[in-house]
Amino acid sequence: MPLLEVHNLVKNFGGLKANDDISFTVEKGELIGLIGPNGAGKTTLFNCISGLHPVSSGRIVFDGEDITSLKAFDIARRGMARTFQVYVASGDLTVIENVMVGAFMHTRLRTAARSRAEEILSNLNLAELTGYRVSELPVAAQKRVTMATALATGPKMLLLDEVAAGLNPSEVDEIMSGIRHVHNDMGITVMLIEHVMELVMKISDRVIVLDYGQKIAEGQPRQIAGDPRVIQAYLGERYVREHSQELT
Amino acid sequence: MEALKSAFDFSDFPRSDLFVAGALVVLLLVFPLFPHSAFAMATVIQFFIFSLYGMGWNTIGGYGGQVDLGKAQYVGIGAYTTAVMLIRWDIPFWVSMPVGVCLAVAWSFVIGFPLFRLKGHYFAIATIATSLVLKDLFEVWDFVGAARGLEISPIKYTPPDFLRLIFREDIYYYYVIFAFFLIGIFYINWFRKSRLGFQLRAIKDNESVAQSLGINVHLAKVKTYAIATAFVSVVGSFHACYIKNIEPEDTMSLNISILIALMAMLGGAGSLWGPIIGAGILIPLKSYLKEWLGATAGLVGIDLILYALIIMIISATEPRGIWGIVERLRRRKPN
Repeated sequence: MPLLEVHNLVKNFGGLKANDDISFTVEKGELIGLIGPNGAGKTTLFNCISGLHPVSSGRIVFDGEDITSLKAFDIARRGMARTFQVYVASGDLTVIENVMVGAFMHTRLRTAARSRAEEILSNLNLAELTGYRVSELPVAAQKRVTMATALATGPKMLLLDEVAAGLNPSEVDEIMSGIRHVHNDMGITVMLIEHVMELVMKISDRVIVLDYGQKIAEGQPRQIAGDPRVIQAYLGERYVREHSQELT
Repeated sequence: MEALKSAFDFSDFPRSDLFVAGALVVLLLVFPLFPHSAFAMATVIQFFIFSLYGMGWNTIGGYGGQVDLGKAQYVGIGAYTTAVMLIRWDIPFWVSMPVGVCLAVAWSFVIGFPLFRLKGHYFAIATIATSLVLKDLFEVWDFVGAARGLEISPIKYTPPDFLRLIFREDIYYYYVIFAFFLIGIFYINWFRKSRLGFQLRAIKDNESVAQSLGINVHLAKVKTYAIATAFVSVVGSFHACYIKNIEPEDTMSLNISILIALMAMLGGAGSLWGPIIGAGILIPLKSYLKEWLGATAGLVGIDLILYALIIMIISATEPRGIWGIVERLRRRKPN
């Protein structure tokens, strides 16, 4: 049984079809990349799956249960965690407190939430940041903290929205090893939106491509990179030329 | 057990803060034993009252970031419940106070569930409106004395009456409200570190993120609003016994609502000490301004002008109030 099934999902904003009849499934333990040009509807798709936007039509099934009409917090409690593309911490909370908010999903006890948060932070090599305020950290570290916070809810599936955007290559490597750890060692199914192709193509089991709200391709990274529609819509000829060796 | 430990655990504050706080508590504890004017006594009691109002407001307004300008309606519910029950049925304070809390919290649910669909300024305006409506209702409701209000006549009782909280000397009231004040501090100290406290701060940061962390944002706000309400209602009940003469204009006016919010905002919304600092500055200021200037014709409204000025300065310079300034200065210093 797939962990996540999306059936004919449509999301309209007024006259704009942000998601147009999108269907796909995600198996337990997969790592799925979601790519496409800006405005293709990737974040909207995440917002629909995680319950922040009500869908216009279609059905979403998570872990065997229809979650289409559930509220966002209910979906989160069923094991779907996510991060946000633009997240500006107002600065009141420290790193550990931030992660504790996530850990509080399963416990009322502060001590339990704290020890869980500490465990997650050390798993993601963030232990040394514990006492800093989130707003004081560089973007790369903030992104890893939001990932840790989402993980503290103990999810079955994690949706990552552009965690590598704006990071330098060494930071991208760090976040990539973080994602690998989450996926391989913690056994969490991951779906990620990303523009950094080095990352997506390297770590995804499967890639889904959106363009103008529609799913235009789906397959292994290698197939995707060779798909003429994807090249035309998103990757561009140059990318394929430069990476032809790695991809074959 | 853990909750109790957490309530008494202030270890995340620097030593110096705790030293200052401890010194102030001792000072307040012994203050009535030294010679003092009745005016000073009344001012300190007002300080306790408004600190507690502010602490209550601070849960939803400070930690939760939902600016509530309608707290006076719950002062009214608490005060009227106690006064009506005492005058009509001779029911003591310690019974009427919890009844008042129940009524106030019930009313807060009636208000809170629909109102928290609104955000930001819209929410603030709606709270003002509900509070004014309730005040107008009380002004025409004969059962609670309408616009004349209610008077608890101390002659009927034999002070000191600890059950009904009827005393002749202010010193009794002083220690009763002081005890509430300390309980309030411990409660908020627990609250800010509780699950709800954490969830609220996440909500204040970003509601979508909070939702995605499994937080029922709407319910968390309603719950916290009820906590804030309970605080205010308890003190409202005390206020009735202390003042002995309550009318809608005094207990439920917009002035009171604004003053309550202002305590916490001036001192530092979303911090434990904020409302206390705010009340510590504003209440003496208010009392003495009234004393010095209020009598002079034409200067009656000067305290209101001052509040407005304070609101403008805070919101323009340091939204986190005086405590925010303290924390900023402290962080600038190398550790």
